[in-house]
Amino acid sequence: MTHRSKSMLLTGGRVLDPRSGFDATADVLIRDGRIAGIETGPGRIDAGDAERVDVGGLLVCPGLIDPHVHLREPGQGAKETIETGTRAAVSGGFTTLCCMPNTNPTLDTPDMVDWVTMKAKEAASCRVLVAAAATLGRKGEALAPMHAMHIAGAAAFTDDGDGIADADLMRKVLQICASLGTAFMQHCQEPTLTRGAQMHEGVMSARLGLVGWPRVAEELMLERDLRLDRSIGARYHAQHLSSGGSVEILKAARDAGVPATGEVSPHHLLLTDAACEGFDTNAKMNPPLREESDRRALLQGVADGIITVLATDHAPHSVAEKSRPFEEAPLGVIGVETALPLYAEALVKSGAVDWPRLIAMMSIEPARLLDLENEGLGSLTVGGPGDVTVIDPELEWTINADSFESKARNCPFDGRKVRGRAVLTMVAGFARCNRLSEISI
Amino acid sequence: MPPRMTDSNRSLLTLRGLDAATLTALLDRTESLLPVAQGIERMSKTDAGAMVGLLFLENSTRTRCSFETALHRLGHHPVSLTGQGSSVGKGESLTDTAANIAAMGVRALVVRTSYSGGADLVARVTGVPTINAGDGRHEHPTQGLLDASTLLAHLGSLRGKRILIVGDILNSRVARSNIHALATLGATVVLVGPPSLVPWVFAEFGPTIEISHDLDAVLESADAVMMLRIQLERDAGKSVSSDYRMAFGMTSSRASRLPEGVPVLHPGPINRGVELDDEVAADLARCLVLEQVSRGVAARMAILERALVLNARIK
Repeated sequence: MTHRSKSMLLTGGRVLDPRSGFDATADVLIRDGRIAGIETGPGRIDAGDAERVDVGGLLVCPGLIDPHVHLREPGQGAKETIETGTRAAVSGGFTTLCCMPNTNPTLDTPDMVDWVTMKAKEAASCRVLVAAAATLGRKGEALAPMHAMHIAGAAAFTDDGDGIADADLMRKVLQICASLGTAFMQHCQEPTLTRGAQMHEGVMSARLGLVGWPRVAEELMLERDLRLDRSIGARYHAQHLSSGGSVEILKAARDAGVPATGEVSPHHLLLTDAACEGFDTNAKMNPPLREESDRRALLQGVADGIITVLATDHAPHSVAEKSRPFEEAPLGVIGVETALPLYAEALVKSGAVDWPRLIAMMSIEPARLLDLENEGLGSLTVGGPGDVTVIDPELEWTINADSFESKARNCPFDGRKVRGRAVLTMVAGFARCNRLSEISI
Repeated sequence: MPPRMTDSNRSLLTLRGLDAATLTALLDRTESLLPVAQGIERMSKTDAGAMVGLLFLENSTRTRCSFETALHRLGHHPVSLTGQGSSVGKGESLTDTAANIAAMGVRALVVRTSYSGGADLVARVTGVPTINAGDGRHEHPTQGLLDASTLLAHLGSLRGKRILIVGDILNSRVARSNIHALATLGATVVLVGPPSLVPWVFAEFGPTIEISHDLDAVLESADAVMMLRIQLERDAGKSVSSDYRMAFGMTSSRASRLPEGVPVLHPGPINRGVELDDEVAADLARCLVLEQVSRGVAARMAILERALVLNARIK
């Protein structure tokens, strides 16, 4: 992104800056890769030779940030690459991704952090940050070189794909994260309760004859971690919450002053374990889809401000892998190209939150989690980076997995009619996805 | 996923959702095929000579022999493939293997696999009528049918009857198929065993499903008792303690407390001295294990007829 970007003036849109709370009709000028002006007054901005784009009726937002994606490189390029995964991301309105370390080899050394950063510079359509492994090989046995990876630019630490089961090691990781000021993101799953588990433990797992993954396996690790963190004070982030009980546990810790945050994914807000009927492997993920009571509790948790970060847990797998028997099929679903309308459906249409809050949970909240606020990411600020996502909240479209930019097709929402879509995604002033010509304003 | 090509009226993947009329028709046909199954009568020739693939990718003795016998009695030909000595059994090759056998022109597939949902997957991938001969912990519909047939022969009707199923319900495909069939035929099904193997969630399968963790408390209310095998190969070992026989076994003393004429069933193979005492297994007036096997051939004939005859009409 070294060559000069074009200047662009977005006129007449509803501009949302979740950091300042700004919400008004305004013009936004992007020049030299940065936001050069935001004006509400008559006549607004004199933009000179900038390309003028009328975005009346659309939302002009900070570039969306997804703190939880799997880009699969190195080692699993058949599932996804940094190139295809970030192309998918900008198509969905994201300008920054934080990729998980469960690659092959694991992202558990400063060299690996560097490798992903270099690869992203060559091939990525958006910003890519690295969540590095906290333990070597994500095995939960020995500390990874967290200080060195922090210096190499790791944005957070996690053993995502597994939780750190060893309490002593977990305590040490939290202590290091506290000293570095970096967030630790936990995949909450007590492993002794989920041996061989395939889906949520409930009536559906009993019917299908699949080994169940009980809620308490998530709740137990979350509760333990937050208890540990009470005396440590590390920034603790619970990934992809699935159980209604986890919301209560997180709330109690936040009320007690623990610097804890939580995230949800679109599938846990819209689907239940009923989607596993017929052994549909696109409904197989970790943590699993649970029951209607969990779904409602998670929605309420978002509405009440207990869960503050929205992520996708974009987990691409090949069609061949997902065509295996349910018990052999890998875990996960993709999400970056569909998250925005799905969140709009789950949260805005249902009345749980309004658009400004939804955007905040997809921009400034993950920016704070990943310590990006000082760089101006996650907000729309004059002088800040030109990462802007323009959203048509009314645009109706039908999800078609075969048209995805992602290599993968493992989407449980294929064929769903949705409303709302990113129509312009700008990264550092470059339009990386532009559907403005396809819509009539 | 590819669209489901199989005519659901020809496949038999599960007894869940099978309506009472279809179930009763299959049971009636089982009854009338019994003399042929036992070699007393011969089939009047109709549409014999079909090739049927038997994919037994998990250990099986009686079910595979039963299907082979059923096919011979019907005048059809089994093409048999087992898991031993080949690379099958791995997930990827289940569908590959099935697709290859299907490509040889078999008119139906019979599938035994360790994967829950494996038979469903084969049906979807091949588009060939598929009979589930046991898929993981999911279902074993032909066993469910033969058990229902055996119970009907001894109890007349199942309406209002209390059938105890005792043992490892959680890991049992036999239990799942039986629960659906027996409840559909009007019975109350009481699931009995330790809480680790009989979770409360099974009560939500239907209004006539009951749960008990105390065999002695419900024993004397039974109209029939079905004992299940403790499936040590499916991790049940960890959920079962050394006092299993004492708490949930059909011991001689428990059998003596059963009212006259209350039969004891077992799908086999029996762990003698664990879920069933030798003396109980030897009491042929009460223990119907061998009658179950005999009826199994007839039940599988009925199911194979359904899979094949309609197919022949189409062609």
